[in-house]
Amino acid sequence: MPVRNTNERYGSVAQALHWAIVVLLIVQFTLGKIADDLPPGLDRLITLARHKSFGITILALAVIRLLWRLFNRPPPLPPMPGWQRVAAHLSHGGLYALLFAMPLTGWLMSSAHNYPVSWFGLVQLPDLVAPDRGLSHSLEDVHELLSNVLLGFAALHVLAALKHQFIDRDNLLLRMLPWRGR
Amino acid sequence: MNVRALLAAFALLAADPAAAKPWQGDAGAGPLQFVAVQADAKFTGSFKTYDVRFDFDPAKPAAGRLDVTVTLATTDTADEERDAILKSAEFFWTERHPQAKFHATKFRRSGKRWRADGELTLRGVTQPAAVLFTLVEKPQILGMKGDATIRRLPFGVGQGEWQSTEWIGDEVVVRFDLKLKPATP
Repeated sequence: MPVRNTNERYGSVAQALHWAIVVLLIVQFTLGKIADDLPPGLDRLITLARHKSFGITILALAVIRLLWRLFNRPPPLPPMPGWQRVAAHLSHGGLYALLFAMPLTGWLMSSAHNYPVSWFGLVQLPDLVAPDRGLSHSLEDVHELLSNVLLGFAALHVLAALKHQFIDRDNLLLRMLPWRGR
Repeated sequence: MNVRALLAAFALLAADPAAAKPWQGDAGAGPLQFVAVQADAKFTGSFKTYDVRFDFDPAKPAAGRLDVTVTLATTDTADEERDAILKSAEFFWTERHPQAKFHATKFRRSGKRWRADGELTLRGVTQPAAVLFTLVEKPQILGMKGDATIRRLPFGVGQGEWQSTEWIGDEVVVRFDLKLKPATP
């Protein structure tokens, strides 16, 4: 599989970034949900510390992914009606925006809560805002709302990919998979 | 010239003898903060209510005396949940031990800094502790700025799961930047 994207499929770098982020997002939703259900205590502190570390990892991967995409255009979309083309661009744009917005609102929220972020105990990140109770609660609401929006976009993304693969039979799904189609 | 103003000026001079001067400070004197490590990240909290009494003349440090009382229920880390945990029996146990007290009578200078060795009483436990600080004296104001590094576990601050130093650092740095005023008798 080529490193760079071709006209037919994504290259290994784009695929690795895509699937690494998929796995991390599943981890993030799980940790976020677990932390939400835990009472204040050490377990929640540890769960959230990991959630933040993975979140910053996603932010870094999203930056790399966006740069890679700018210098290495994705394969063109298969033939499809104009509205589907527009929908595909909108949902991809939305997903990218959320890959940045989720970690950034999380980081902002940690700063406003006066719970600074450490990336796996290796580096402490600077605070983005000063501690502020009101702001921290608003950001918490935004972070949660966006997580639901992300869930919606991801579901749409998966359903669209499956529809192309199994109903339109245009092998779109194989463009993001390492093995050869057919 | 106004006679009363002149008298007031003399009174101020008279109240400025060379002996160990009593200074004092309360909440308005400046920040009294602590920096702790939680999940590998440093955060800062503060104590809103405290009282400092400092009888000190740099020329006669042996006669000096420093007393600090901190009202632990005024612990503020900008997060209600964490504040509640810190005030609970797991940490400060403010219900049983509402105040932390530091008392020192030994002072020595090293370079520009002073070191006060004394005893800190926290959560019912008394342990030796040292405070390092600089002094800047101006008319009617004594600037006192410095810090103290305290280990929380010998005081029992952090019980049960909170004894883990992997997630909550043992060392806590208390720092202050105070403007003390002449004590009113």
